[in-house]
Amino acid sequence: MKWIARSVALVAALYPTLSAALAGIILQSPGRFGQVMKHVPMALAWGILPGRSIWLWARDGSLAVGDQAPDFTLSTHDHSGEATLSSHRGVRPVVLVFGSYT
Amino acid sequence: MPALNALYREYRDRAAFYIVYIQEAHPIDAWQLDDNIEDDVLVASTKTTDERYSAASVCVRNLGIELPALIDGLDNKVERDYTGWPDRLYVIDRDGTIALKSAAGPFGFKPADVESTLKRLVPARAAAHIESR
Repeated sequence: MKWIARSVALVAALYPTLSAALAGIILQSPGRFGQVMKHVPMALAWGILPGRSIWLWARDGSLAVGDQAPDFTLSTHDHSGEATLSSHRGVRPVVLVFGSYT
Repeated sequence: MPALNALYREYRDRAAFYIVYIQEAHPIDAWQLDDNIEDDVLVASTKTTDERYSAASVCVRNLGIELPALIDGLDNKVERDYTGWPDRLYVIDRDGTIALKSAAGPFGFKPADVESTLKRLVPARAAAHIESR
């Protein structure tokens, strides 16, 4: 049973360091993040360490409600045309859904 | 997706809706998810424009997405501006300011928040019809 006590003590001692390391990983580009996380046990990152809180903090970004939304022009997935965010200004609100298949 | 499709159908006459398709959340060459393997959602990280357009088309088709999808450039500029990865919801008001910014996905992906924001920003459909008469 001593090894359990020792492991718990070790994780507790390392908790701030491991949390900081996890934050560091999450602050990387998504590509690098994915490359590192495939080697990290889920139970450690999201169970033992405060993964969710670190995630929400690190992935918050610099935009706030009330800020001007950064403008952009992007093509549609079927190449049928382009859309510019600011073309809707003064006309209608815009809903943006960021995501990917996986 | 069903919730977003329903919102789109309800509000598309009063608001613009766009999917902004970005780099993959769980490409097979990085941090793969068991759920994805089970559901046969296997996509390598998109490294060329063609690959990203293909992934987006597969996504739109397989998930039955009704919203128009815009493809972010390989420089991921729009994703970085909005910290959109892996997924996130925004509502932009008519004056170009941010009315709603969800918490980072996957935790913040709540279409119900989009709906309550839209209700605030757009006229109710019945009222709009009355005005146009």
